[in-house]
Amino acid sequence: MSVEKMKIVGVIGKKNLLSRVLRLVVLDGSLHTINALVRVNSSDFFLPPNEKNIVVLEELPFLKPCSSKKDFTKDEEVVKSLLSLFDIRPQIREEYLDQDYNYDDFMKQLSEIYDRVRLTADEIEEKMNSINKKREYINNLKYLSRFDFDIEQLTCIKHLAFRLIKISRENYDKLKKNYENIPAVVLKLAVESKYVIVVSITPVILEEILEKIFRSLNYTLLPLPVEFRGTAAKVIEELDSAIDKEEKVIESLKKSLEDYKVKYIIELKKGYSRLEIEKKIEELKSDMANGDKLFFMFGFVPVSNVTRLKSELEAQFGGDVIVLVDDVDKGGSNLHPPTKLSNMKLFKPFEILVKMYGTPAYYEKDPTIFFGLTYMLLFGAMFGDVGQGFILLFTGLILELVLKKGSLGGVLSRIGLSSTVFGFIYGSVFGSEKIIPPLIIRPMANINYILITGVVFGIALILGAYIYNIINSGIEKNVERGLFSRNGAAGLIFYLILLYTIFHVVVTHSSISPAFIYIMIGLLLLMVFKQPLANKLIHADKLYQKSPANYYIEEGFGVIETLLSIISNTLSFIRVGAFALNHVGLYIAFATMARMMTTSWGSLAILVLGNIIIIALEGLIVFIQALRLEYYELFTKYFRGDGIEYVPAKMEIISSTGKRISLFHKKSIFCNIGNIYLYNIINLKWGS
Amino acid sequence: MDKVITYAAVNAKIRALEKDFLKRDDYLNMIQKKSVVDVARYLKDNTSYGKLLREINIDNISRRDLEDILKNNMIKNMDKLVYYFRDDYKEFIRSLYIKYEIEDLKILSRSIFNGKELETIEKPLSFLGKYSRISPKSLFKSRTIRDLIYSLEGSEFFEFLIPLVDGRRENLFRFEMALDMGYFSIIQSRKLKISREDRKILKKWEGLLADLYNIQWVYRGKKFYSLSPEELLNYTINFGDKLTFRERKAMCYAKNLEELYKMIANTIYGFLFKKEEMYRDIYMERRINRFIYYKLKALDRQFSLSIIQTIDFVWSFEFEIRDIISILEAIRYDTPSEEARKFLVKIA
Repeated sequence: MSVEKMKIVGVIGKKNLLSRVLRLVVLDGSLHTINALVRVNSSDFFLPPNEKNIVVLEELPFLKPCSSKKDFTKDEEVVKSLLSLFDIRPQIREEYLDQDYNYDDFMKQLSEIYDRVRLTADEIEEKMNSINKKREYINNLKYLSRFDFDIEQLTCIKHLAFRLIKISRENYDKLKKNYENIPAVVLKLAVESKYVIVVSITPVILEEILEKIFRSLNYTLLPLPVEFRGTAAKVIEELDSAIDKEEKVIESLKKSLEDYKVKYIIELKKGYSRLEIEKKIEELKSDMANGDKLFFMFGFVPVSNVTRLKSELEAQFGGDVIVLVDDVDKGGSNLHPPTKLSNMKLFKPFEILVKMYGTPAYYEKDPTIFFGLTYMLLFGAMFGDVGQGFILLFTGLILELVLKKGSLGGVLSRIGLSSTVFGFIYGSVFGSEKIIPPLIIRPMANINYILITGVVFGIALILGAYIYNIINSGIEKNVERGLFSRNGAAGLIFYLILLYTIFHVVVTHSSISPAFIYIMIGLLLLMVFKQPLANKLIHADKLYQKSPANYYIEEGFGVIETLLSIISNTLSFIRVGAFALNHVGLYIAFATMARMMTTSWGSLAILVLGNIIIIALEGLIVFIQALRLEYYELFTKYFRGDGIEYVPAKMEIISSTGKRISLFHKKSIFCNIGNIYLYNIINLKWGS
Repeated sequence: MDKVITYAAVNAKIRALEKDFLKRDDYLNMIQKKSVVDVARYLKDNTSYGKLLREINIDNISRRDLEDILKNNMIKNMDKLVYYFRDDYKEFIRSLYIKYEIEDLKILSRSIFNGKELETIEKPLSFLGKYSRISPKSLFKSRTIRDLIYSLEGSEFFEFLIPLVDGRRENLFRFEMALDMGYFSIIQSRKLKISREDRKILKKWEGLLADLYNIQWVYRGKKFYSLSPEELLNYTINFGDKLTFRERKAMCYAKNLEELYKMIANTIYGFLFKKEEMYRDIYMERRINRFIYYKLKALDRQFSLSIIQTIDFVWSFEFEIRDIISILEAIRYDTPSEEARKFLVKIA
């Protein structure tokens, strides 16, 4: 469990196979690519010199990064316009991708279809344009429709120039204020939002001057049809009937397009899927390396997927590609394997919160389970309530169903569950403590007990964090951090002794033995000299990483910080108890207000409002406080989170049978049903 | 109280950023330099631009590259300010980009009109798309003014440019004029939800700009373009601070330049025409800019905690870059440093 083991998979093959190999890799969706040149140059890269590998070994020293960038703009245009022309919803479907095909040939075929279809499409567009032009005429004529004369009289007069124009309001304002200098009759016809529609009539000899003036007003000419006679109303009628005719032609053209659609729909759908995957493939190529005839590709693959990928590659390409599978080498390689977390369903949602702090490194112990468990406990203890917890659980489940992956729904449902459990322990339902008896304790009745329990619980968590850090340092073989640092073994012993002495003094009121004091001082000294000591132990060539003076100044203050942080870290957990009390307190405030209401409806309303505020406001605060305890008090002790996230090359693909998706659905629903079921059992058992 | 909430943080930030502005000595030192690289090196070693230029190899930096770096830095700083504002104030800060984007659009249109290759444009055009949100790539694809107009479709500029596209009439002059008119129309017509005091300040400030540009326009129109008074008037900005419509119209209908000078001498803008003929043309732009620079400083003091500090900052930033570029130009044309100084806005 936790961090999944990886292997380095390398694929080497003839260049002309590259696209097809990459397509398979993307469909497989488990390869996290790394730069091929970095891999080939890393110290642990080894290719056994046998007959099969001879060509590869020859090319190895002459590798170049794969730099060719394919231009998809034309293909994109073809696919996009075809999709929109036929109104097809773009989907990437597996069935179009796992066939063996050559992308370029396919695209050539597709653009031939495109050319054929376009002729009809162009014709439709032409007709549309003509209709739009006529509509524009109609629109312009409407301004004149109140005048009852033949428009030909206007458009064809000999010595006067007539025009219908549109200018902005502010420019019309300028025109109006300067009307005495304008060599034309100008008549305002209409005002439309920002614009004013005017007609002007001027003698032809003055038209040029007028044109200049209008031009400086940034006018738009509203064209009128010239080939029509009669009043504006009559011309509009004629235009309308012409539009009707053209629309019928368009209708029939569209029908013939429909035939094309039936004929080619599969090809068009294929086009989109294949273009998208080709773009993805092109992206991946930046990590590849090219030799003279061969390509080189490397990546990390989770152990569980290696055999599948390998057999798929070998099944399709046989001897044409060489598939290398290497173990991840711990020391020598300068490649950091990516981290793929895999946790039990119960803890999986908490991965989001862990990653918010940092992705665990590949060799680090995944803290998700520890985090999830303690987070649920902390939240539940601070926000223990059967009713409110149930609401959180329910909301979480809905979010999980609706938003699926990536939402905090999973976290919400789990902390809701924990809150419900603690609700039974405290005997609290929607704040009220009168409905069910507490299983263990009522916080308000045992204030000191609750606060101390919080601290004790905190001590347990801090000890857990120490142990985690020692294990992590053990894996990393970091002597300094694991043995001598304040979060390592020395710190742990110091902490235990400190706790023991405090306990001893407080409970038995006796003085402490000086031996303990000496040990503690000794441990502090170990912490101060941690770096030189550790380097001595592992026989490093240098005792100090930087100048000793700086080191000791830092560590001198480090001692003070150690002492302070031990105390503050521990006492910080008082808030667990304090928030449990606060939760009750907030409810008491609302309950008191409810009692002050005169009507029972009023008091009910206050209680409902109070509960909403408590869930929303306190729920958020507790969520943050618990997170703070985890991040600040615990993660700083043992978790570094400097890993790389596992991002395999893959795409969202709709599989041919719909199998993959339905499986996922069933599983999650089952789990949710399981949660509700679990909840019901608890509810029935405690409730009775 | 409201003012404090809106402006306390941003003004503190502006004060901090203003500390980085070049000092008087910096300009004087740069004027003495002999090449673009020398100026770049001076900026890198002695001024706050060191941070910006640290990663950059300045050994053969060109004027265009340096200008691009400086302008992008200005954009970065302006973008920073946006985070300090909410609601319509964000919109207002963004609208400060209009002016610069229009300047760049004009340069682009000129080189398209002259059929120049894009790589040879001497200005970096860093502001394209900052206000219009049109990707500069699609603008660069334009081969004609008409293409350029259509590639601006979807932006606020489009409605002012589209009347140009019918038949033979789209030309450079009208394109530039339409953009300029569009700029003032946009800043006049936006209905921002900002405080009443800020609105008052903006009205005053934008009116002032309109006055200055109107005078400059009428003067140039009369002197160089020989446009008719009607056209001159139609191309003026339709608002102002001190100048009324009647005065503006009278200026357009002035019989000759002498009459125009007399009219303006009676306003507060008389300083524009004080010196003898030759200096008017070359230095008018600079005189306007210096007037703006000091007016902004005055407004800044008059209305503490208002929108004017932000405006002042942006304009000062512009003037600083403008001055650096002026110095680079002076170096290119071997202008003596005494002459070059006469083109700088921020120092006299």
